[in-house]
Amino acid sequence: MNKKIMLLLPLLVAILSRAQVTNDNNPAPSTSTSKDGQNKFAIFGNAEMTLVANKDNVQFGDVNFKPIFLWKMSDQLFVEAEAEFETGEGSVDIGLEYANMCYIVNKYLTLHAGRFLPKFGAYRGRFGEGFINRLATDPVGFGDGGIGAMNEVGVGAQGGFGLGDSKINYDLYFSNGPILLTDPENAGQFEYEGYVGNNKGKAVGGRVGLLPLTNSSLELGYSFQHKSKTGDPGTPYENTGLTMQAIDLNYFGHLTALQSDVRLIGEWKYQKVDTATYYDTNGVPYTFDNSPSAYYVAATVRPSHVHNIFVHNLELAARYSQFKTPAGAPWGGGNEDQFAISLDYWLRWNSLVKLTYQTEKGEPNTFFGQVVFGF
Amino acid sequence: MKKYIVISSFILAVSLGSITLISSCKVSQKVENKTGIQLWGENCGRCHNAPGPGEFSAANWEIIGRHMRVRTNITETEEKKIIEYLKSTAN
Repeated sequence: MNKKIMLLLPLLVAILSRAQVTNDNNPAPSTSTSKDGQNKFAIFGNAEMTLVANKDNVQFGDVNFKPIFLWKMSDQLFVEAEAEFETGEGSVDIGLEYANMCYIVNKYLTLHAGRFLPKFGAYRGRFGEGFINRLATDPVGFGDGGIGAMNEVGVGAQGGFGLGDSKINYDLYFSNGPILLTDPENAGQFEYEGYVGNNKGKAVGGRVGLLPLTNSSLELGYSFQHKSKTGDPGTPYENTGLTMQAIDLNYFGHLTALQSDVRLIGEWKYQKVDTATYYDTNGVPYTFDNSPSAYYVAATVRPSHVHNIFVHNLELAARYSQFKTPAGAPWGGGNEDQFAISLDYWLRWNSLVKLTYQTEKGEPNTFFGQVVFGF
Repeated sequence: MKKYIVISSFILAVSLGSITLISSCKVSQKVENKTGIQLWGENCGRCHNAPGPGEFSAANWEIIGRHMRVRTNITETEEKKIIEYLKSTAN
């Protein structure tokens, strides 16, 4: 009981902070719903389809439909949710991408609860989105099977504020966090996206972003996450801890000589897992240094300021990524290197066709054609 | 129990300290004078092509503004100025 009271202290802080920015000149807004008595509701989202072609295979597939539901119930209350209909595994798979309830405490602080997009790094939940990612694929280590969660379930605090010519933004959250897998094939890997936790341990994580330039063209971010108990209760793995860190960069600017907008983005992330003894399929014990890492760098050029409409709608993108997996792990033991280049054509501000060519160590060179329509 | 007291006290101290610090922070005059259209160009384009005012209705822009604030942590001032600009010439 006392523990619960202690954990409620941050809520007290939120209430105090709300009181702090409320005075006679800035009265607390009404807690009633919108003035016209109606919730403000809208649906947006996107649909995608990908063609995959290489020497072994040619197929249309990976059709996704992702409606996003948004409700602004009042100036303080906001809900965002995304459903996901996917066919990538050969059948229709329906999922809940996120359902996040937000409470705007004041201009510096928003509290949220639910299933939310990860605040660890900047690719997942942001640069990896269909019409934001200029390439048809994810960098190695940043898609399925990579480091970190695609979603988190928990609570968090976030916000942004100006400081001189700069801006700072922050995210801090508590979530169910990663669950350690110990079966022979996946020993040392994690189930990152549990709808429920496997023990009393919770992950704490966050990200701090700094935009040092007056025009907000550069953002640098540092993220962390830690969970001290990732294994199932009552097993030798219960107290196996995990720490992750990430650094990200995003630059957006104009290249006058090419009459183009340019974008440079990149991220590095690293995971360190406490030493544990696992058992192979024959019951033989072994251990390994479980510290995978991944990074990518990408650049895009779009001649946005050229008057010719066809040229204006083109965008060129290139990306290199690497995923280092631990030697000695049943699922690791090497570097995955990937290079991808893409020529895109924009049909609308959030709808495009991507023609991506990708080379990856140990995989056949592959062409991807992807259509993404935002709505 | 001791662990939770330490963690909660730390969060409490950091939060109160941060709120006090942030509340006393000022943006520069240059930043304060930025217009909605300027902030729209600078912030929206950082991740995606910036949609023009005619893409959505005034009612929708208000919802989208809030969505972007919680997704990307733009400041309250930026949200307000950008949405005022987009609503002023929206469909």
